[in-house]
Amino acid sequence: MKIDFTLNGASVSVEAPASTSLLNVLRDNLGLTGTKQGCGIGECGACSVLLDGRLVNSCLVLAPQVGGREVVTIEGVRGLEGGANDLQQAFIDCGAVQCGYCTPGMVLAGEALLASNPQPSRQQIREAIAGNLCRCTGYQQIVDAIEATARRRRAKVGHD
Amino acid sequence: MTETRYVGKPASRVDALEKVLGTAKYIDDYRLPGMLVARALRSTLPHACIIRIDITRALKVPGVHAVITSEDFIDHGRFGYPVQDMFMLAYQRVRYAGDAIAAVAAEDEESLQAGLDAIQVELEPLPGVFDPQAALQPDAPIVGERPWDAPDLPHGNLLNHYRVRKGEADEALAACEVTLSGEYATLHQEHAYLETEGALAVPSSDGKGVTVYANCQSPFLNRGNIVQTLGLAPESVRVIQPVVGGAFGGKDDLLYQTSGQVAKLALLAGRPVKMTFSREESLIASYKRDAVRMKIELGANHDGSLLASRIHVLVDSGGYASITPFTAWRSSIHAMGPYRYAACQVDTDAAYTNNGYSGACRGFGNPEVCVGIEQAIDELAERLGMDPIEFRLRNCLRPGDATPHGQVLGDDVALAECLEKVRQISDWDHRRSAIAKAQGGPSRPGEIRRGLGVAAMFHGLSLGAEGADFAVSTLAVDPDNSITLTSGLTDYGNGSRTVFTLIAAETLGLQPERFVMPRPDTETSIESGPTVASRATILGGNATRLVAMKLDSILVGSAADLLGCSPAQVARHAEQYVGPHEEAATFEEVVQHARRKGLELSVQGRWEAPEIAWSFEKGSGEPYFAYHFGAQVAEVQVDTGTGKVDVTGFWAAHDTGTVIFPQGVLGQLFGGIAQGLGYALMERVDYDHGFIQNTNFDEYLIPTALDVPDMVGAFVEKPFAPGPFGAKNIGEPSMVPAAPAILNAIYQATGRRIRQLPANLEQVLLAHDLRKEGDDRACKLGLHGK
Repeated sequence: MKIDFTLNGASVSVEAPASTSLLNVLRDNLGLTGTKQGCGIGECGACSVLLDGRLVNSCLVLAPQVGGREVVTIEGVRGLEGGANDLQQAFIDCGAVQCGYCTPGMVLAGEALLASNPQPSRQQIREAIAGNLCRCTGYQQIVDAIEATARRRRAKVGHD
Repeated sequence: MTETRYVGKPASRVDALEKVLGTAKYIDDYRLPGMLVARALRSTLPHACIIRIDITRALKVPGVHAVITSEDFIDHGRFGYPVQDMFMLAYQRVRYAGDAIAAVAAEDEESLQAGLDAIQVELEPLPGVFDPQAALQPDAPIVGERPWDAPDLPHGNLLNHYRVRKGEADEALAACEVTLSGEYATLHQEHAYLETEGALAVPSSDGKGVTVYANCQSPFLNRGNIVQTLGLAPESVRVIQPVVGGAFGGKDDLLYQTSGQVAKLALLAGRPVKMTFSREESLIASYKRDAVRMKIELGANHDGSLLASRIHVLVDSGGYASITPFTAWRSSIHAMGPYRYAACQVDTDAAYTNNGYSGACRGFGNPEVCVGIEQAIDELAERLGMDPIEFRLRNCLRPGDATPHGQVLGDDVALAECLEKVRQISDWDHRRSAIAKAQGGPSRPGEIRRGLGVAAMFHGLSLGAEGADFAVSTLAVDPDNSITLTSGLTDYGNGSRTVFTLIAAETLGLQPERFVMPRPDTETSIESGPTVASRATILGGNATRLVAMKLDSILVGSAADLLGCSPAQVARHAEQYVGPHEEAATFEEVVQHARRKGLELSVQGRWEAPEIAWSFEKGSGEPYFAYHFGAQVAEVQVDTGTGKVDVTGFWAAHDTGTVIFPQGVLGQLFGGIAQGLGYALMERVDYDHGFIQNTNFDEYLIPTALDVPDMVGAFVEKPFAPGPFGAKNIGEPSMVPAAPAILNAIYQATGRRIRQLPANLEQVLLAHDLRKEGDDRACKLGLHGK
């Protein structure tokens, strides 16, 4: 079936069986491989994307469910000139990246949180990324990166 | 040491940008024109004879391009190190549920599944053995062949026996004023790398060679196995490591099998072939950290001096040997902990069973035995009425001490400093006595109790007596004046490429941004042995320092010639080369001059670890050239009504030598502690009659961000002379003491010892497991969707 939706700000149209997951549509039909498969059952969060601004596991979303809606993947998170945005740069600076497999999902989990809560506590950050497993970092530097970005974004809003 | 410019300063991981942008290419992200998909047909029985495999119907399935069995490999694809007991596909027998029997390459998922379904396999079930103790009984079914290199071992299921001997442990224990005897058991642990296994093979245009992309840890070993089992010329097989999504020791043997399978399928099909694992297949097929049972006897005198230990360790190797002969040896070397003893006796047996097989996993046999010895040391301290840290300080190894193996230690030993440091940063004295005072006697049901626990560790650096220990790095100045650095040691998320880049930049006095470090590739880098055993920083780091010193002397020579002075007169200012009269030449000018003079700007450096000697017969010698030391403190909160344990605080102090990449060291420390926390509290690989019951992350639980507290790390930077810029390693040691520190904290909270991992609700509340009878369906479901 034909599915039309907004992907990273642009309209797209894909042809896929109704039983295809959003994850497979993104990776196989659209070639966006930044979204990863880690478990296939919605436990690990490696396939996280934003659906109308909310964090979802794309392996559990059927492609037809996104018809007419807005999807943001890691490929849609960019700073100036297509480089890292402030949150992504904070991941680099804080040492929040090791093997990198959970990183796209973690960045999106961080963006989803900061969009709804500009001043999260460390505990709230931990709750917001609790659906995203990371085996390398022990999470601490990821929490640091999101916390530092929240602080900087607040300071920037204060100046503007 | 002298002031550094890059070493020890905040840095960016060399591959961090592509990872945060989502553009890093992992194996499953590779798409090639004409690429086929592949999967292995795996055994649904834990032990069976293969009577017949018929692939004729499978070959006729539309879309199927190739089907292989062990018949398609030289000597049936036999491989393995140090024991050659595995095959690229099972030959004659399957030895665990999940053993690969045949493999299919097909056009798409549908034809692949139809092809797998059409393979006819006749298996004759054999009695299985699932307990390492039972496996060593005279009437136990024998798992596979006798170990090829140990025909004199007394039992066909006994893979190895190791010993450590110092003095007469029996007599010494009998003479001790206080003795203790305890039993402790650990379970298998899954590595749980977020990226599952995968390999992609591309046949060469002449059909005589193959390029394999595989997320394995050691591309050179992988290539060796493919060359040997496919009968190809070494120069016609190239192995390239793409970005790897975590490994922790788990991406060796199984990946070699997978790589051999896709290489053969690709050559037969004449098309690229990719095989990637579902999480279920990964959990069922992959090797695990070994499960270990320990009996520990310790003796001390009332004055607090630890005198004797007698320890037996039993290791479950599962269906194959894999690297267990080495992990079991490391267990035997570390089983008594980092303490002085007048007498010590350790015996370690590793046995085959029909559980899934065991292999390398972060810590390599040491986290297992640390769970035992560090709980036993705590129990003994309690009997002596001593504070756990005081007792450890009283008896821990110090510079110049002789270990129970008979090795006299150098001046780099910093365990006492680590214990003092962790005592200070955790506010141990105050915190522990406050908890004891507030809680008083035994807990009331439903009470929330707190506890504080400590554990100490040592960890032999690099391979030790396990094998030849060397690494090679190369440096070349490219035509565009960037500098290409290669190492045969790989980076699967551990950060070694960043460490090597910082070492080269520091040595050459050039900015890290000038360096390019390609991904490991058997064609462009030089064999450096396996990337295991926390050996990257010291071995690869030293090789990199050496090669950088070589290139530096060439560049300084060129600068001297250009500036008309002697090399000794050339000073450095930032990246410039400065002569005696303040005249300066840039890096580019020096390189250009060197090229005009015909100087070779491509060099190689090789570093070998100092020689060591271990007598397997006597059980004494120098097992490793040096050790890493560390101590960790955990604080827990236990709900005595439900058995739920929350880790509420964590402090760690480690003897890392000089820190080279600060964010990287902290990341390795925190990550190791989190893995140890999972090992202590929740990670459970449950083999029921050989069938794994936990086939995805809904049943195999690993820590989430809510399970891990904010941690505090501290480093005792006592420079380690043989290390590059004085550095030691951290990758494995960070995990080693985390679990026993938590278990000792649970004891202070509840007064109950955890004798069987993990410390889940039942173990904490009841000291035994409540488990439903398992079945084999989960395993079958995970594999073939039936």
